Amino acid sequence: MSNDLLFLLFFGGFIPILFIAYIVGKSKANKISAQGVTLHSQASQYGWLTALYTGLPAITFATTGIFLYLFDFYLIPPFMLIASALGLAALTLFIVTQNIKATTKARDLIENVLKNILILATLISILTTFGILFSIIFESLHFFQRESITGFLFGTQWNPDTAFLEGASRGGEDVANAQFGAVPIFAGTFYITLIAMAVAVPIGLFSAIYMSEYASLKVRNIIKPTLEILAGIPTVVYGFFAAITVAPFIVDVFAIFGMTASYRSALGAGIVMGIMIIPIISSLSDDVISAVPQNVRNGALALGMNKAETIKFVVLPSAMPGIIAATLLGVSRALGETMIVVMAASLRPNLTMNPLEDMTTVTVKIVEALVGDQEFDSSLTLSAFALGFVLFVVTLIINIVSITTIRRFHQKYKISNL
Amino acid sequence: MKKNINSNFYIPQIEKRNRLARRFKYTTLAAVILSLSFLGFFLFDIVKTGYPAFQQSYIKVEIKFDEETASNPYGIFDKTMSKLISRAWLRSLPQKIAKNPQWMGTTQTFWALLNAEADQHIKGRLSRLDDSLKIKIEELLLKEEIEKRLNVIFFFTGDSKIPENAGFYSAIIGSILTMMVTMTLAVPIGVMTAIYLEEFAPDNKITQIIEVNINNLAAIPSILFGLLGLAIFINFFGVPRSSPLVGGMTLALMSLPIIIVSSKAALKSVPASIRQAGYGLGLTKWQVTKDHVLPLAFPGILTGSIIALAQAMGETAPLIIVGMIAFVPDAVTNITSAATVMPAQIFTWSGMPERAYIEKTAAGIIVLLSVLISLNTMAVILRKKFEVKW
Amino acid sequence: MSIKKSTMALLATASIATSMLANDQIRIVGSSTVYPFTSYIAEEFGATAGFKTPVVESTGSGGGMKIFCSGVGIGTPSFTNSSRPIKAKEFETCQENGVKEITGLMIGFDGIAIAQNKETPSLNLTREQIFLALAQEVPSKDGKILIANPYKKWNEIDASLPNREIRMIGAPTTSGTRDSFDEMVMEEASKSFPTYEGKPYKKIRTDGAYIPGGENDNLIVQQLTQDKAALGYFGYSFLEENHDKISGVTLNGIAPTANNIADGKYPVSRSMFMYMKNAHIGQIKGVYEFMNLYVQDAMIGQKGVLKNIGLIPMPTETLKEVQKSVKAKTLLTKEMVEKHTVLPVK
Repeated sequence: MSNDLLFLLFFGGFIPILFIAYIVGKSKANKISAQGVTLHSQASQYGWLTALYTGLPAITFATTGIFLYLFDFYLIPPFMLIASALGLAALTLFIVTQNIKATTKARDLIENVLKNILILATLISILTTFGILFSIIFESLHFFQRESITGFLFGTQWNPDTAFLEGASRGGEDVANAQFGAVPIFAGTFYITLIAMAVAVPIGLFSAIYMSEYASLKVRNIIKPTLEILAGIPTVVYGFFAAITVAPFIVDVFAIFGMTASYRSALGAGIVMGIMIIPIISSLSDDVISAVPQNVRNGALALGMNKAETIKFVVLPSAMPGIIAATLLGVSRALGETMIVVMAASLRPNLTMNPLEDMTTVTVKIVEALVGDQEFDSSLTLSAFALGFVLFVVTLIINIVSITTIRRFHQKYKISNL
Repeated sequence: MKKNINSNFYIPQIEKRNRLARRFKYTTLAAVILSLSFLGFFLFDIVKTGYPAFQQSYIKVEIKFDEETASNPYGIFDKTMSKLISRAWLRSLPQKIAKNPQWMGTTQTFWALLNAEADQHIKGRLSRLDDSLKIKIEELLLKEEIEKRLNVIFFFTGDSKIPENAGFYSAIIGSILTMMVTMTLAVPIGVMTAIYLEEFAPDNKITQIIEVNINNLAAIPSILFGLLGLAIFINFFGVPRSSPLVGGMTLALMSLPIIIVSSKAALKSVPASIRQAGYGLGLTKWQVTKDHVLPLAFPGILTGSIIALAQAMGETAPLIIVGMIAFVPDAVTNITSAATVMPAQIFTWSGMPERAYIEKTAAGIIVLLSVLISLNTMAVILRKKFEVKW
Repeated sequence: MSIKKSTMALLATASIATSMLANDQIRIVGSSTVYPFTSYIAEEFGATAGFKTPVVESTGSGGGMKIFCSGVGIGTPSFTNSSRPIKAKEFETCQENGVKEITGLMIGFDGIAIAQNKETPSLNLTREQIFLALAQEVPSKDGKILIANPYKKWNEIDASLPNREIRMIGAPTTSGTRDSFDEMVMEEASKSFPTYEGKPYKKIRTDGAYIPGGENDNLIVQQLTQDKAALGYFGYSFLEENHDKISGVTLNGIAPTANNIADGKYPVSRSMFMYMKNAHIGQIKGVYEFMNLYVQDAMIGQKGVLKNIGLIPMPTETLKEVQKSVKAKTLLTKEMVEKHTVLPVK
């Protein structure tokens, strides 16, 4: 039976049962109160109680059954699973209704059940992190079983092409060996990120200084949201802009100086990525600079420094932890950025110091490996997960450092609240 | 301050320092102007490239309908005209004839769609037409038998291999379906998590760990969520590839942190007095939350959800991994068939060689940006409107 | 909860659930060379035949075969495109996984064109020269042993060739174009070097002179328009479609044109195929009708629409036989696979 029909059957049977449960519970409670006994909770709450107690066991039963099915532990035929779940619902309905008394603390019981449902919802976000970790680590381990870790982390040749043939069992002697040295790819990511930060940090920081120190409130209220627009533009749009406008422009400009730039140069991708990151840096820096207490500035002004000197020598150093945190957040964003590099950088791993040449990044290689052949038994597909794992670890470390720095910064200025 | 060298307060370096201070101020101002001009230039460039796509060229033709015409629409016109008129238009003729049998034996006048090369030439760009064809087009323009009209095809047709027939419709529908799935999954779970963390959770180590975990989730690169979607949703759970269902599930996970954080802030902003009044009257925690705190926090939760929606709508990388960049010309009507979304369509079109696709890509970007800007503006307006100062 | 709200919720769930019951979308995977042709027909099909437009993905011939042969379920693709005949090993895998009934359709001819930027001076190459430029190991000067490929520029191989860096952007191993290139250029050329002792050699060098360009041949074209020194190879249709940006390289003096490929004068030509999973006929709407539309004269015939976008149509008699075979739903047999044909072996 198709999955869709199964869902339809389940919900088609399940929802009416819940309705019935509510009505039956409520009417039973009404009956009891009509006899003159005071109920602990309101009648409708007994209805809700019945519905909840009927529904939950059945859903838990069905979900466990599905999971066992997926894990191939216990192959319960789906139809039987649904029938038994519905049967269980009916049974619990009967039992619960029998046990409703005036002293049943419906209100508290409902409270408890709801609290547990909320906890379950919270668990989903934790499950997600574990899901990502698990899926990436699992497949990466597959990869490292076939290829060496040191070769991956320190090798400089990336030629995974023929790994597909092995996976399709068409490998053999007459096929060149696949190589998985990822150093050129890491270098490409790092280099493009460097260019991006070289664009974003000066412009972002100085914009933040202007917004928080020099601008009037009216001007600031216009500029800040406008800069936020830069953050809201989808990255695929930036990528298109980089490929169609920025890259040819760079080629033309450098041609004037007699240098040949590639149409997919690291410079083009880096500059556009920098533009995208400006709002992150400016917004966060603006917040931390504004958070520096006014008395610090007043002290400096009182000693005869002018405004620029106050900012340069007093405010900025105090805000520095926050600014560093903002930069780190920007770096982490740049490392993980995909669309801009897919459209403006190339597929060629290239270990070079020349920003005018084309190079590739980790995210581009992940996309390349997974678009097309999806069978998870070739090293080519698994290499995507190994790369993803490295990306995950690096961005995680950077994020944790950044968040702890900001937290410490806020604590520092909360205490010294003169 | 006037330069009074004899005054006791005069410091010789002050001019230099003030000069430096002024330069500093103007540097920061320059940075702001630079950022704003990036934005301005960028928007201008996109609009300039894209707005021609909203017009399409049509040509006035007369067709005599008979047996032959109905069976072979491609042979109706002579060689010259065949090189100008769109195949897609000719292809649709047999169906039109079937719907209008009274046309048989008569001659009808139509405005036929011109093909992409002719259209590009009319818009003043490079095309692959021979000079003789270009001259013919000039003639027809003068005779007013060619005119440019509003391009409705763009909004009501899906993707196509024939450039003049390519539209954004299937991508728009795909985006709507995917967003529906995303919001249906992310908002309830996110709000429930926020309620738990704000109202019910005890202030211990575990809660702190959960909060750190949520913050980390917000900073994970989006492509890794794509890997999660591929490995677990498609491979393990067997959700159909390229469907709005799997795309929506992946994007829901990505949107969770934003919704949780903004809902928490909204809940926190409701003053304690409201809750205490409820407890004082004997309500349970859940009743207070459901009937009193939530309705008051609702505007904040709503704006947070809209912002999350806008972010999710522009995401491409995870959806590529999950397969939503196939060639999907028809709009889908359910969440388990293969579909594409607006940013993915933009990505696909940007890789097509025909020049006509460049302006379509830019036009698609204009549509996407307009949707995003209106969503964000709506969020800001709603926030201002419902802002209650306690 | 009021009765009205709850009935609405019920209806909403029901409508979402019923909308989930859809299985009328045909999925096609496979070769990037055949992709433009199949997408075109898919669009025709959706627009004129009253069925839903099939969804076409470009995964490479090898990649497509793998997914196609992974099973018979509705979630697997119904068709796969291939720019080379199905290999015996793939046919075995199909049979093992339950895909026992396959009908094949020959679409037409394709030549592998080697191209460069239109502004670069024209070039003529022989198969042997290409081989020496790209092989991982080449014969040493005295021809006695194999050494790692030392050639960095074309004029090192042959003084008559230009002083240009050797850079070839080509297909990855998932691609049928790559398979054809390996077979018809590399292995053929290796036969004229006794150093390989009669064993056909097709390993391609991995030091950067050969760049796998990904499954999107359009990107290779784009790279050629930007990199004036590079060469690239792909199916003839891409050369034809972009003749304003790139020009073909002559092979042994013969240019890659439609006529030369159809005649067989151009040495690197091959046939293109599509394979159908017969088990899906009746299970997914329109599977057989799509195959039927594809074989029409109006599509792949000598005056068909695909000719306009670069397909080199097969001779009319061959087309008639293919049409007959499709009509009869001829099943692919091991013999047919070994003889690289989709027509019944006489």
